Amino acid sequence: MADTKEESRIGVFICHCGTNIAGSLSIEDVKKYAETLDGVVVADDYQYMCSTPGQSKIIDAIKEHNLNGVVVAACSPRLHEPTFRTATEEGGLNKFRFEMANIRDQNSWVHMHDWEGATEKAKDQVLIAVAKCRMLEDLQPKSVPVEHAALVLGAGIGGMQAALDLASAGIKTYLVEKLPTVGGRMSQLDKTFPTLDCSQCILTPKMVDVGRHPNIELRTYTEVEKVEGYIGNFTITLRKKARGVLDPTEAEARGYVGGGCNGCGDCAEVCPVIKPNPFEMGMAPRKAIYIYHAQVMPLLYTIDFDSCVKCGLCVDACGPEKRAIDLESVDTFEEIKVGTCILAIGYDYIPIEEKREWGYKQFDNVITGLEFERLICASGPTTGHLIRPSDGQTPMKVGFVLCAGSRDNTGGVAKPYCSRFCCMYCLKHAHQIMEKIPGAVPYLFYMDIRAFGKMYEEFYYRVQSEGAKFIRGRVANILEDPTTKNLTVYTEDTLLGRPVAMEMDMVVLAAAVQPKADAEKIRQMFGVSKSQDGWLLEAHPKLNPCGTTTAGIYLAGVCQGPKDIPDTVAQAEGAASAASIPIHTGEVQLEPYFAQCNEEICAGCGMCLNQCPYGALALVEKNGRTVMEVTEAKCKGCGTCGGFCPGGAIKMQHFTSPQICAQIDAFLLKGEDY
Amino acid sequence: MANVKDYGNAELEEKLSDTSYYTTDSNPQFLEDVKKISRTAANMCFQCGTCTGSCPSAPRSSYRIRLFMRRGVLGLEKEALNDPDLWLCTTCYSCTDRCPRGLAPTDVIMAMRNLAFKVDIVPRNFLKTVQLIYKTGHGVPNNDVNRAARVKLGLPADPPTTHSYPEFIPGIQKIMDFYGMKDKADRILAEESK
Ligand SMILES: Cc1cc2nc3c(=O)[nH]c(=O)nc-3n(C[C@H](O)[C@H](O)[C@H](O)COP(=O)(O)OP(=O)(O)OC[C@H]3O[C@@H](n4cnc5c(N)ncnc54)[C@H](O)[C@@H]3O)c2cc1C
Ligand code: SF4
Ligand code: SF4
Ligand code: SF4
Ligand code: SF4
Repeated sequence: MADTKEESRIGVFICHCGTNIAGSLSIEDVKKYAETLDGVVVADDYQYMCSTPGQSKIIDAIKEHNLNGVVVAACSPRLHEPTFRTATEEGGLNKFRFEMANIRDQNSWVHMHDWEGATEKAKDQVLIAVAKCRMLEDLQPKSVPVEHAALVLGAGIGGMQAALDLASAGIKTYLVEKLPTVGGRMSQLDKTFPTLDCSQCILTPKMVDVGRHPNIELRTYTEVEKVEGYIGNFTITLRKKARGVLDPTEAEARGYVGGGCNGCGDCAEVCPVIKPNPFEMGMAPRKAIYIYHAQVMPLLYTIDFDSCVKCGLCVDACGPEKRAIDLESVDTFEEIKVGTCILAIGYDYIPIEEKREWGYKQFDNVITGLEFERLICASGPTTGHLIRPSDGQTPMKVGFVLCAGSRDNTGGVAKPYCSRFCCMYCLKHAHQIMEKIPGAVPYLFYMDIRAFGKMYEEFYYRVQSEGAKFIRGRVANILEDPTTKNLTVYTEDTLLGRPVAMEMDMVVLAAAVQPKADAEKIRQMFGVSKSQDGWLLEAHPKLNPCGTTTAGIYLAGVCQGPKDIPDTVAQAEGAASAASIPIHTGEVQLEPYFAQCNEEICAGCGMCLNQCPYGALALVEKNGRTVMEVTEAKCKGCGTCGGFCPGGAIKMQHFTSPQICAQIDAFLLKGEDY
Repeated sequence: MANVKDYGNAELEEKLSDTSYYTTDSNPQFLEDVKKISRTAANMCFQCGTCTGSCPSAPRSSYRIRLFMRRGVLGLEKEALNDPDLWLCTTCYSCTDRCPRGLAPTDVIMAMRNLAFKVDIVPRNFLKTVQLIYKTGHGVPNNDVNRAARVKLGLPADPPTTHSYPEFIPGIQKIMDFYGMKDKADRILAEESK
């Protein structure tokens, strides 16, 4: 508690924020009011308090008036609390002697047309802030050392790029991928817009690099089992799924010198079990022992134990030299310690078959964009010949349904947001059709063409000039002719104002994307929030798009929201840079908003232990008594235990009960005696 | 408001008339009324065309439900209420099923018809329908051809509606009288035949 003998000497500074605040309420009235408040010795205002002259006002006033508390009434603490804390410190005070009143986001922006009301509210906000400021005390941030290693979860293009950057910056990086190979969605793509480079050609070098970088510890076919700890000191348990196949190192460890899988594929030749290959969107078979495709990294077969019948044929085929196959292999666990983590777990399609009107999975010749990628790809199931699934014929009229399930507010599987890359890949697909099939015409049914990136609009121009047809209208429904299996697409050409019923040989749905099914589980393990649309939530949409509100956890790629490859790579590099800062600094400062146990009052009942969502509390023996102890580095200052303790033994630093009560009293009693 | 030019020749004026949309053509209250009656956020239409693409009436007529949504958004009251296409919706609700913005275009049409009726803009056949419902409880009452068909199918000649239970007709009339529908229909049709 503040030293009661210390007389409060508070300065109040009111910001105009240009006209953001000054346009909606009377700065002058608020300032005059502030001057009347108990403990306030100076009140001032300025156009932009956050600017250098604004901050100088604070610094000078602290010195001139010998202040022991600073209140700034301005924008949100999320934006400028660090700024004003620094100014407070530069003026010679402990930086926690600062309190902020948010009279912009929570006042002038909401009460734009109520001058009097907004002015009154601003006075209340200043009154409340001053009440707290009177009771602020000096606090010292806590430093903790940072583990010199990082985790990157998910090895799509985003995760691989982040891992390569971290590793090249000299940080040991665990790259953990759930599937048997790295590469993610990008490895399923044929070409990439707008330059049309072959996706595999630009991706495989990176896949090889992550495999051989000395600082990258690659863990494929591995999932995160448990996350403990906090920034600088995460302990993460990995589950290495039973793969049934040993790599050369593992083989050597068992004494099979020169053994282990070399990717020859003799096992898959003899395996009798046939399953659809998810990499080919189920359009090509694989065996129970399999690789996804020829360029997998690592080149290592995997047994799908859910379908393996344990006949042992593969073991014989593999032979006594390599001895790579172990049909009895089980999941193993590994504990790693890292300082920071990057989540890059990507995305899935929505189950577009549930939008019944477009007939996916009802009509043979309705496919998705990802299926199109595999069908047009030279290494795909049809060696690059686009064919109709119904009869193997080459389609000459191909319809594209853009915004299929995106920008759709009807709920269910539909998504209100724009999926951001489908306009561009439909343009790419249109180009590919015209390039590969002479005379074929793509028809793009669209609401808007969002060609927003560098050289994207130019690509749109090019595809149109090549002969693609654009029809501005969202597809209402599709019907199939049961004999020809042709499809009739219904919409309105909204530019002509005429209903459209066009027969197509094939239709491609640019389905909306959504977070991975297990994103929710991952999110909870790492303590990251999600935004309204379900994607992982960045710390600030503009100023901190790679960070999260949990210190030490960063985001890269589509898991944070739909984005194409250039944006994914850019964000990955940003995340890697952000994640490397604490590691290179070697220590992090934690805000000292810890719970503190008053051991004299604590009865040692231990009931608070389970309340803490972060496992920060423990019972210990001290001077012959059992009392609760807080691991400060784990405490996030959420206040759950503080509110809970029946004896009132837990104090929340910077949010103490007396401080909060003073704020409430100030508001309710309006400065009258209490 | 269109720029008016005086050529002293009605036909020429009609031909050269200004068809631009001016903000003064808009009645914002119209949109508000439509929203209130239809209970759908008609202002949120983004003109995708799904509704017209779903509409069984559109391919067979000049009726474009999307166009009415647009007129609603812009407050083009006169254009909407005076367009005879307003009465071509079959109220099948296909558009409402599929609108990606979750709007109910069908109910927007109903709202506009409501507003049109208030200012006496109603096609004759609708007024006759009003009179028939008032008299028989049916918009399309049973007739001899139907009766014969029903008997042939092994059904009673009259369906189990007001045709079989005429005692319910006064109830229907009471509802219609409350809204003044019958009087209005009678009046308009009488004025027309004058
Ligand atoms: C049909 C289609 C065509 C496209 N064409 C283009 C194009 O031409 N140009 C372009 O720029 N963009 C294109 N895109 C977009 C492109 O696919 C994405 O921008 C890119 O793949 C995003 O990469 P990512 O690393 O964020 O996610 P992903 O590629 O999805 O990678 C995520 C990785 O994380 C792994 N993972 C997921 N969950 C876990 C977990 N719990 N634990 C461990 N690992 C996990 C996944 O297995 C995967 O390997 C296209 C998209 C589609 C659908
Ligand atoms: S043991 Fe399993 S993986 Fe090996 S061949 Fe038999 S079925 Fe295939
Ligand atoms: S990127 Fe284009 S097709 Fe995809 S949701 Fe956005 S507007 Fe629709
Ligand atoms: S379907 Fe809905 S959003 Fe699309 S044009 Fe019709 S009313 Fe507007
Ligand atoms: S409800 Fe009316 S406007 Fe809508 S689809 Fe049916 S007929 Fe067309």
